[in-house]
Amino acid sequence: MKKFRFALLCLLVLLALVLPIFFRSNPYNLILLTTILLYGVLATAWNIIGGMGGQLDLAAGAYLGLGAFTTGTLLIRFNLTPWIGIFIGGLVAVLFAVLVGLPLFRFKVKEVWYALSSAALVEVLRIAFIMWEKVGGPVERYLPSYGSPLYMRFGSYIPYYYIMLTLLLAALFINFWISRSKLGYYLIALGDDEDAAAVLGVGVRSSKLKALMIYAFIVGVTGGVYACLYGFIHPNFFSSPLSTEVAILGIVGGMGITYGPLIGAILLVSIRELLRANLGGQLESLYLVIYSTVLILIVLFRPRGITTLLQDGFNKLFSRWVRKNHAE
Amino acid sequence: MDALIQLLANGALMGCIYALITLGLSLIFGVMNVVNFAHGDLVMLSMYIAFWMGSYLGFDASLTPLITFPLLFIVGIAFYYSLIDRTLRQKYVTQIAVTVGLMTFLRAIAQLAWKAQPRSLPYSLISGNFQIGSVTIMTSRLISALVSILVIVVVAIFLSKTWAGRAIRAVSDDFDASSLMGVNYKGTYALAFGLGSALTAIAGGMLMTFQQVDPTMGLRFGLLSWCVLALTGLGSISGLLISGIIVGCAEALAMGFWDPRARMLVVYMIFILVLWLRPRGVFGRK
Repeated sequence: MKKFRFALLCLLVLLALVLPIFFRSNPYNLILLTTILLYGVLATAWNIIGGMGGQLDLAAGAYLGLGAFTTGTLLIRFNLTPWIGIFIGGLVAVLFAVLVGLPLFRFKVKEVWYALSSAALVEVLRIAFIMWEKVGGPVERYLPSYGSPLYMRFGSYIPYYYIMLTLLLAALFINFWISRSKLGYYLIALGDDEDAAAVLGVGVRSSKLKALMIYAFIVGVTGGVYACLYGFIHPNFFSSPLSTEVAILGIVGGMGITYGPLIGAILLVSIRELLRANLGGQLESLYLVIYSTVLILIVLFRPRGITTLLQDGFNKLFSRWVRKNHAE
Repeated sequence: MDALIQLLANGALMGCIYALITLGLSLIFGVMNVVNFAHGDLVMLSMYIAFWMGSYLGFDASLTPLITFPLLFIVGIAFYYSLIDRTLRQKYVTQIAVTVGLMTFLRAIAQLAWKAQPRSLPYSLISGNFQIGSVTIMTSRLISALVSILVIVVVAIFLSKTWAGRAIRAVSDDFDASSLMGVNYKGTYALAFGLGSALTAIAGGMLMTFQQVDPTMGLRFGLLSWCVLALTGLGSISGLLISGIIVGCAEALAMGFWDPRARMLVVYMIFILVLWLRPRGVFGRK
């Protein structure tokens, strides 16, 4: 079983590596693939604080925007290449996460109130950056187009695809590694029942803070790449719809399952984009009506995530396969 | 000084409407502990319905609640039985996911039906303004605030004097004991959800007499009503009015003295600070 899974994993990674070759003639498809990967990275990072830790964080947009603005501003003002900028962006996001997380966890803001305060945070940053004209302001700031790979600007979308894929693999690896570590077990315990975990000696506050910091770093770095991908920065990067969507992808995919949010992202974002591409022409936002209906239905009938559906199917298939082999 | 009083008056009047919106949210959250992310979007929806009735059917916005109130009551009950009832025994995360789905749905419907540009009604029966000293008061705002206070008082009487209202309070106080006393919890929950949704119809209709509506309104009113609720805590109806007025005044002062764009910034900052410092609210009993 374990070998089989490993083989499957290798196959999937290989598939992801060669995928752009089939789509290289069509930039739309490449953007689509990159977008799916982008949501995959965000949802996978969210899994650390949201899925394992059970803290319904709705502030992905805040960290994404901070990463994007740090990277973009460093490039515009100081000519610093995004290859370094994205990591500084990640660190700024971590710093912000610490500033927010310390009081939040100190004052035991949890569940609903944690979700709402993180949702408010995104809007606070968005408005603050619109008002802060030196860095943000209401109009887009375009990144200088040196057109050189040294500044993370490419002639095609394929390199972005591979950068996103690298981020995704890193996020998945971090997720997997945490789920096997002490921090992971702490998070799962406190996600289930915070008070019980605290009594049993789990450092609730420090575990939550660590999870939040790791999550913020991944999202912040992704934000830097996001800015380069679109070629500009704008305060609307602090996006509430994006933040809630990331959490929804995590929930629908399967909370706490390492690859669950990724599967949620692949399925749902493709559905959404397909709907948008096919319906968008005549009636804008009809796709959102159908998409949200699909979302509600999945949550109602598979509250533990669509990944559990796949797992059930996989296990059934696998056991049948084993039985057949034994019979022969 | 005059400017200050003018701003405070506007803010306080607006605050009464915020209190009315939050009353609906507080009924839903207090009674069944369901986090309704779609509450603000119900306000937006009733504003759009008021706009639609005003511009195509010639209704006056201030009278639309006569029709939207029962309509949203039915919509709320339908939401309860089709969505919320199935998630009551799930984790809160699942409930939030469902109401976020609902939120996206309502927002998409609004965009589909009315496009993204802001809409407003040119005229209302209660438009106009008058002077008290140096302060100008818009009649529509004043009447909206008075209607909100009136509705809040009526709901308070309903909750304390009628059987159904007492059932709502009983279920929110002690679920097990009230079920043993023969309160049908499903019916009570449905009633609370329907009433909570229907209250947004009144707020929406009154807001439409002096405001414009656009699809992003849902997020604003949603977070705003959660802010008022966090400030109040659960179970205090007079506290709702005070918190609503505080939030309304803070918003008006930020607009007047700092920057018009900062209005929601101040509200969200209050929200975050209250959560950090007084997680149970200032006026609440639980």
